[in-house]
Amino acid sequence: MPFASPFCDSLMTSREVTFARDQIAAYAKASGDLNPIHLDDAFARSVGLPGVIAHGMLQMGILAVVAAEAGGGPDRLRRLSCRFAGMVQPGDTVTFSAEASAPARLDLRAVNQRGDAVLTKAVAEVEA
Amino acid sequence: MSPAGELAAGVAGRTYPPVTFVIEPERVSSFARAIGADPSAGVPPTFAAVYSLGTTAAQLFSDPEAAIDFAKLLHAEQEFSWDRHPKVGETVTSRGGVTADVSRRGIRMVTFETETTDGSGAAVCHSRALFVIRS
Repeated sequence: MPFASPFCDSLMTSREVTFARDQIAAYAKASGDLNPIHLDDAFARSVGLPGVIAHGMLQMGILAVVAAEAGGGPDRLRRLSCRFAGMVQPGDTVTFSAEASAPARLDLRAVNQRGDAVLTKAVAEVEA
Repeated sequence: MSPAGELAAGVAGRTYPPVTFVIEPERVSSFARAIGADPSAGVPPTFAAVYSLGTTAAQLFSDPEAAIDFAKLLHAEQEFSWDRHPKVGETVTSRGGVTADVSRRGIRMVTFETETTDGSGAAVCHSRALFVIRS
């Protein structure tokens, strides 16, 4: 399993994920986003990328799982938004976290092993 | 290219025909496993990437007049808002359209919005994607 156990305390919920090619391929198949930049290193390099990269929507999907844990369940999520700010490659470890910043609002973060935010302006609103 | 040059309107205002999508249980559980969600906990919120954004963005990407170069496409921002989350097995209908299309200094920014409704026509999800196409 690529997922570490989530840990929770009163302030923050977080999950650390080390991305693997098979997870990216599984997301490609399940989501239907079969863009070869996520699957084929040679193709990815031909369009100026360092190799295959994870889907932004895979990152956002994991972020939503963490937001749902922090917000009382997936059905309570009312809004989710983010900017895809950095590339995630196989082997990168990203820490996704959610912290309540107002009664029905969660501030979300996704930071890689170098300390760079891969998702920015990430916010969720949950049912009050 | 319009006479306005750098601020050409592109295909802003273009809308696509409604697309119907059945939320099948196998697809939901494989999606849930891929993002580390509990596969028995219903439709993950970001499955909207499939039933809302995915169904309609496919129409944009295959529209020759929209001329999206898939190899140079980056998904730059995404927002979903939900009136409710659909159930496994439900059929939803999505209508997508380009709400902005701006080119500046070789970078084209396309805002693509989708409204998803249920079988009774009630709102389920709104998706707003910003796509950046490098030249």
